[in-house]
Amino acid sequence: MSETTIPAPRERNEAMEALRRALAATGPLLVLLLLILILWILSPPFRSPTSLMLLALEAAAIGVVAAGQTFVILTGGIDLSVEAMVSFAGVTAAILIAGTNIAGGQIAFGIADWQAVLIAITAGLAIGMFQGLIITGMNMNPLIVTLGFRSMLLGVSLVWTRGAGINIQKGPFLNFVTSTVDLFGLRVPMPFIIVLGIYFLLWIVLKHTKFGRYTYAIGGNETATRLSGINVDRVKVFIYGISGLLAAIGGILVMARLQSGAYQNGTNMTLISVAAVVIGGTALSGGVGGIWGTLIGVFIIRVVEAGLVYMSVPSNAKEIVIGAIIVLAVALDVIRRGDVKWLRFRRART
Amino acid sequence: MNLLEMRGIVKSFPGVQALKSVDFDVRRGEVHALVGENGAGKSTLMKILSGVYQADAGEIIFKGQPVVFRTPRQAQDAGIVTIYQELNQVPYLSVTENIFLGSEWTRNGLLDWPAMHQEARRLLAKLHLDIDPRAPLYTLGVGQQQMVEVAKALHQKADLIIMDEPTSALSVREIEDLFAIIAELKAEGVAIIYISHHLEETFAISDRTTVLRDGRKVATRPSSELTVEQLIRLMVGRDLAEQFPKEIAPRGKEMLRVEGLRRDGKLHDISFSVHAGEILGIAGLVGAGRTELVRAIFGADPIDGGRIFVEGKEVRIRNPRDAVRHGIALLTEDRKTQGLVLLMSVRDNITLASLDRLTRGLFTSAAKEQELSNGFIQSLAIKTPNQQQLVMNLSGGNQQKIVLAKWLATHPKVLIFDEPTRGIDVGAKVEIYRLMNELARRGVAILMVSSELPEVLGMSDRIMVIHEGRVAGFLNRDEANQERIMELATGMAASEIEQSKLFEASIHE
Repeated sequence: MSETTIPAPRERNEAMEALRRALAATGPLLVLLLLILILWILSPPFRSPTSLMLLALEAAAIGVVAAGQTFVILTGGIDLSVEAMVSFAGVTAAILIAGTNIAGGQIAFGIADWQAVLIAITAGLAIGMFQGLIITGMNMNPLIVTLGFRSMLLGVSLVWTRGAGINIQKGPFLNFVTSTVDLFGLRVPMPFIIVLGIYFLLWIVLKHTKFGRYTYAIGGNETATRLSGINVDRVKVFIYGISGLLAAIGGILVMARLQSGAYQNGTNMTLISVAAVVIGGTALSGGVGGIWGTLIGVFIIRVVEAGLVYMSVPSNAKEIVIGAIIVLAVALDVIRRGDVKWLRFRRART
Repeated sequence: MNLLEMRGIVKSFPGVQALKSVDFDVRRGEVHALVGENGAGKSTLMKILSGVYQADAGEIIFKGQPVVFRTPRQAQDAGIVTIYQELNQVPYLSVTENIFLGSEWTRNGLLDWPAMHQEARRLLAKLHLDIDPRAPLYTLGVGQQQMVEVAKALHQKADLIIMDEPTSALSVREIEDLFAIIAELKAEGVAIIYISHHLEETFAISDRTTVLRDGRKVATRPSSELTVEQLIRLMVGRDLAEQFPKEIAPRGKEMLRVEGLRRDGKLHDISFSVHAGEILGIAGLVGAGRTELVRAIFGADPIDGGRIFVEGKEVRIRNPRDAVRHGIALLTEDRKTQGLVLLMSVRDNITLASLDRLTRGLFTSAAKEQELSNGFIQSLAIKTPNQQQLVMNLSGGNQQKIVLAKWLATHPKVLIFDEPTRGIDVGAKVEIYRLMNELARRGVAILMVSSELPEVLGMSDRIMVIHEGRVAGFLNRDEANQERIMELATGMAASEIEQSKLFEASIHE
């Protein structure tokens, strides 16, 4: 053994490894700061505190959704149903609050907004866990299961609203959720504070609980985890439950802001959430990554979007840029893994 | 002039130096046997030669030209073809398609099937094979599939064919055929590098033998000048007693008993028991059901019948979680795909199976985890810079110790090793054996599945031989030897018993 270890090249590898890890950890943050700096220089309107606060507000709903996506991707799965869940939760809560569907037919007396929200996010949790049950119990591909649920949830939202939005009056709870808080003279949007709270909580879960450890272990090697006596299926059911729950919370944030529950509320959020997770350093194959990177990923995407607006790029062209970012993010993931032959300069590992 | 010369080949992987300046040469028309223990560096050397890996240092001269193969394709184009241990073929394509895979003949831009089939037929005839080249490959026997690989090598006009354990799946008859063909190839000037664990084969077929040990070349000699004993000494570099430091531990109470275990099509009515302090070796041919048996006991695969008792009490094991709860642990045969989470740290891997006990309230306790893994890093002498090191960067031996630590942390009563020393270098093997001794002394019951008979003979107190999913017999340490195990493992003994019974019956009538 001792004679087979060779100190010299190994130390170099370790130094490289440390450098690589430091870059992987701070890389997204540096990119974000650089983007903000560029925008700051190029666009005077961007320099106002209001635009910064707007950025934080824009990042809130997708931030929550992407947090759930992070858990799923860490286990090596994917949840394509999140955007439909955002719409579905918003529509559900809106109908319960308004007590009416779009046809004007009274389906119930409106209930207090906090009750409606509680029902909507409980439904999100339950539907998410149900997807997890199907995926683990029937050993089905998460891609297909969540794609199917995406269709179903969008369909339900469409049927309930007949394709239009259900407008609501905010009650005290939603007023609180959409309020702002004065911090050092900045008016910080409450949704952003909620997001930070959720991220902190999830970070604790990932770092300091068994559940978090098993999340990484399943993504790293599901077979070995199962053979270590861990109930992998139960963990995965909760993972999809968390994703459903967080997507539903994201849906409430969107709905509260627009004061309307519509089936388009979640448009594009699935792709953006996956892109944010990957940009934030989580491997699409699972097992490696973290929650804070995802938040940075969300901000990177939002800053680019905002940049397009401030640079007067026609809004129709936005889709092109978002699509390109997503492809770039996945390319980044592949490059990080060292799977691209012509980009692999003399790597130590084979 | 030598057909091939490899000089000063060095190759290291993270944590292990697999080859330390190896010289190796092959002459035209020669069969050159390459032998050594697992982990000696045979496969790495051959993978460098065939372009799968690139050497860190050293040079390769082939047909008088210095060459560098960056891909297997380049090596093939130069005339070096490898016939891999696990066949590298597409089962649902025809024989012809497999032979021509990657080098198809075309006419006017379309595949020229008549010409390809004809050429395939010519090559098969040369190998004395009566096979329809249109037949899908999966319809052939394993031996014939292997011959198709040889045909493919001929088609590629190989000057040098590397055969890595070519006989592992062949019957005696098929081995004879293969040897006849090797002799013919030799006569045509094709050189062959022959890698095998079966020393009788390498003696029968090879002109020269090169021995590798721990990544170094120990010797290259004409095969006729070597004896089996000399060869083993060169390979192992020490006596058998040093290699297997067996200590007999006092035999305690019964820890595990299995009664009538069944898994339809795989395992039939298997019963045995293991006591505290005992190492029960499980031997058998590949596919006999050894791994299936231990996986069934561990709850990794479903069973169709049978009872399992731990310390005399019947237990129900439906999944690995039940097994772990009842004090059973399994070190799987493939630690990378089934034992470890390579992307996690040493500490996280060690604590993975026992996190339940390492919590403070809702949260995992970093202090308890650190203490536990530090303890194992010291007691098992795991060589790692720190606890945070990713497991993928450690050597095979240290990885195996980490899997062992993971299980020891669960305080197992019964420890099952499936191929405990596969892919581990010689020094680390001895350390694993010493740990087995230590565990047996502490009253753990050990089941050890192994394909290496010397290991089974060297470390077991008792040996259970499995043949086609059934228990073929038990042998005590003092009555066991290679021949008796092989008799049971190949079912020869059973059929003899069968015949003698028939004979008796006929007498009585």
